[in-house]
Amino acid sequence: MSSVLRQRIRNAPPRYALVAIVVLLLAGLPTVISSFLTSEWAQALILAIAIMGLNILVGYSGQLSLGHGAFMALGAYISAILAHKYKMDYLVTIPIAGVLTGGIGFLFGIPALRLSALYLALATFALAVVTPSLIKRPKEWTGGPQGLLLVQPDPPQPAKDAFAAITGTAMTTDQWIYYITLFCALLLFWLAWNLLRFRPGRAMRAIRDGEVAAAASGINVAGYKTLAFGISAFYAGIAGSLFGLATGFISPDTFPVSLSIQLLVGVVVGGLASIPGPLLGAIFAYFLPIESNQWVPSQSWIPSQIASTVEKAGPAVSYGVILIVIMIFARNGIVGLVESGYRMLQRRLRGAGDRETGQMPSGPQTV
Amino acid sequence: MTALLELEGVHAGYGPTSVLHGVSLTVPEGGAVSLLGANGAGKTTTLRAITGGVHWSGDIRFGGRSLRRMHTEDIVSRGIAHVPEGRGICTELTVDENLRLGAHMRRDGAELRKDYDRVFAYFPVLKERRHLSASTLSGGEQQMLALARALLMKPRLMLLDEPSLGLAPMVVRAIFEIIRTINRESKVAVLLVEQSARIALDLSSHAYVLEVGRVAVEGDSDELKGNESVRRSYLGY
Amino acid sequence: MQEFLQLVVSGLAAGGIFASLALALVLIYNAMGLVNFAQGEMAMFATFIAYALISRGMSFWIAFPVTLVLAFGGGIAIQRIVIRPVERAPVLTLVIITLGLATLVNGVAGFLFGYVPRPFESPFSSDTVGVLGVFISYRDLGVIGVSGVVLLLVYLLLQHTTVGLTMRAAAHHPEASRLLGVHVSWMLALGWGLAAAVGAVSGIMVAPVLLLEPNMMQAIIIYAFAAAVLGGIESPLGAVVGGLIVGVTVNLAGVYVPFVGGDLQLAVGLAIIVAVLIIRPNGLFGRASVRRV
Ligand SMILES: Nc1ncnc2c1ncn2[C@@H]1O[C@H](COP(=O)(O)OP(=O)(O)OP(=O)(O)O)[C@@H](O)[C@H]1O
Ligand SMILES: [Mg+2]
Repeated sequence: MSSVLRQRIRNAPPRYALVAIVVLLLAGLPTVISSFLTSEWAQALILAIAIMGLNILVGYSGQLSLGHGAFMALGAYISAILAHKYKMDYLVTIPIAGVLTGGIGFLFGIPALRLSALYLALATFALAVVTPSLIKRPKEWTGGPQGLLLVQPDPPQPAKDAFAAITGTAMTTDQWIYYITLFCALLLFWLAWNLLRFRPGRAMRAIRDGEVAAAASGINVAGYKTLAFGISAFYAGIAGSLFGLATGFISPDTFPVSLSIQLLVGVVVGGLASIPGPLLGAIFAYFLPIESNQWVPSQSWIPSQIASTVEKAGPAVSYGVILIVIMIFARNGIVGLVESGYRMLQRRLRGAGDRETGQMPSGPQTV
Repeated sequence: MTALLELEGVHAGYGPTSVLHGVSLTVPEGGAVSLLGANGAGKTTTLRAITGGVHWSGDIRFGGRSLRRMHTEDIVSRGIAHVPEGRGICTELTVDENLRLGAHMRRDGAELRKDYDRVFAYFPVLKERRHLSASTLSGGEQQMLALARALLMKPRLMLLDEPSLGLAPMVVRAIFEIIRTINRESKVAVLLVEQSARIALDLSSHAYVLEVGRVAVEGDSDELKGNESVRRSYLGY
Repeated sequence: MQEFLQLVVSGLAAGGIFASLALALVLIYNAMGLVNFAQGEMAMFATFIAYALISRGMSFWIAFPVTLVLAFGGGIAIQRIVIRPVERAPVLTLVIITLGLATLVNGVAGFLFGYVPRPFESPFSSDTVGVLGVFISYRDLGVIGVSGVVLLLVYLLLQHTTVGLTMRAAAHHPEASRLLGVHVSWMLALGWGLAAAVGAVSGIMVAPVLLLEPNMMQAIIIYAFAAAVLGGIESPLGAVVGGLIVGVTVNLAGVYVPFVGGDLQLAVGLAIIVAVLIIRPNGLFGRASVRRV
């Protein structure tokens, strides 16, 4: 190995290797965990896709949406209606749901341009609260409060064979759906990575850090802001569509306000304006309530009455505390913490290191 | 005369940028001192340091007691009225409410009423406009309101940041006349920051000239006025 | 016609409730340029406190002021503990924090009091009185009266006391106020306390109608948003007028617009928010120049 190359590798962040390891781990996961757990991980990945979309909007373009659950609902119902009413193959409906939701999100972004960050947050929050009752109304399409049952696809024969060759057991539907989800997630994360490290990403960050300055340097502020809305909704739409696939059932109560808040928790915990952030955030936001709900009842010293309340109140309490604590103490989330730790280490080792890092969007100042 | 305000080797700045590099100055009890200097010399920053608006090191003493680590609110309640750059008028409030805001810490009702009378004698226009929104006042009237409000705080020291800024010469003369009266009659010490050195030196007895965060020249106002080279190189007239 | 008038009156009662919560939002907006997403949940929590006091035998008219005082203290505590460390943070950060606060308060209420809806006794009789052929319930009159008195008290406090003056000054001109000896940070805390107390009124007034449970205010906060936005988010008077308009509109739409009916009334709130923000972002009484966008 030439010394230049060696030097390069030493200087390069251990990114590519890390990405490869993560992808391999995720791909291998269903071979070692149960089918049930696999379906939970599929849902976490779906959440990661939606959170990635929200991250593009909030972290990069600086527009806060508290109603992304509504876009997920839209994507889910588009797919469900196409599959249910028009007997389309569900897998075909996924991109359709993404594109349609993205288009509607883009249209949403146009009036959103006129709103300050605060008003946008307010309006989208109201949207999130109203979403379930909006879904209930067109009964003949959405099935009203009863919701829609969806047919989950069987894994195709080659996939079954391959899986059986590795694990010795037949592939279940849940495992197949996991792989579909993983494929979509990898594709969409790769897309986001490419989008954000080049021109559009730079333009959005410039807008986030100061619209006037961005406009002065020739960036099409309105264009990129609406584009961010559209892309973000596209991600949410795909996530919604996959969500229907993974659960096999959707109803208005599948998309409560707390879903939008869960997405926000994921973005904030993972770290705004970072690519790995949404994955970490999603895993955290998805498994935290599930794990705590399993842990609390398993503790015999907790009276069962309290345990059942904790089960209901636990996610809200922990999400609330997490949002507050992270916003006060670690505004760049897990990724921010890891990065500053890594940089500190680097500085210790080499006495240098001034690479750009993901920053919290410097929104309008309150003072 | 004893020193009312003393700055000793004050360093101050905004975040990473340091602006003052060891400023020392003194304002005697009841005295009138000007602080002059070019744009960006650090005059405003000096005043901000005194009332705790920026972080500083060194020492600042008022009435013999250090102001270190004190909050702005507590510093001004010791008797410093700071009329900031841009006057700090609350344009959402009426003229009267602005005045009441200046007096809000006072508990001496009778004295206060006398002070109101005095203020309205200085600035009759404020009495006329009492119930109008402060945003309707002209620039000169707003400066008058700021001074009036400062007076109602019953200060021992007034910090005035460019009271002449943006005002017509006639108005400036009238306002400076009143500042002089306040200083002489009420024994309120004045630390006056000004761009236009001439009118400031006419008012003050002592002056400091700041240059990039350091005191470049200091002396009696009359001496500085008379010194051709100082006038040329620092005061620009 | 009679039905119409009846709906208007009960709409005004609902409007009084929305107005109180909207006023709470406006108070905090004015203090720090922030919409407090936790306002509704804080009101809900206060209502649970009132409920606890009443169910321990306290009479409503004692429990009511006691709760307001406790809510006031709670608001101040929240400002000191949660908001103050991030007072100067970007708006997005603050919004996320208040949203976290909303989630947290909701969860804590669920943890302490459970999710079973509880009936909350109204202090007013459910009888009606006939005025010009319109039957008005004492409940509606009582709610209108209580809301009116509270709003009047807030007005007097803000406009005619020294504390109110310093609060307004601190909200609009923090730097200048500090130089005049106003303890700006404490004024913000007072604003939070006052907002919490005013918001609590809305919770206590709405509980007899909706049944008390942790998610009780979820719809009310949307109407309050609509009211505050419609009035111009920085105008206390606007919040009151906006609240009444929203209350009446929603009530009438529920009956006279077949498409809306009972289950899409909340969507009317959303529609008002969106329409105002797009057509007239400063609302009815807001100043044309929005500070701190
Ligand atoms: N809020 C601030 N943040 C960062 N730097 C500042 C800030 N305010 C002032 N400065 C810098 O500090 C230096 C001194 O400013 P200062 O306002 O004290 O000058 P000044 O003497 O009052 O000037 P002027 O006559 O223009 O008012 C300037 O270089 C200015 O750019
Ligand atoms: Mg200056």
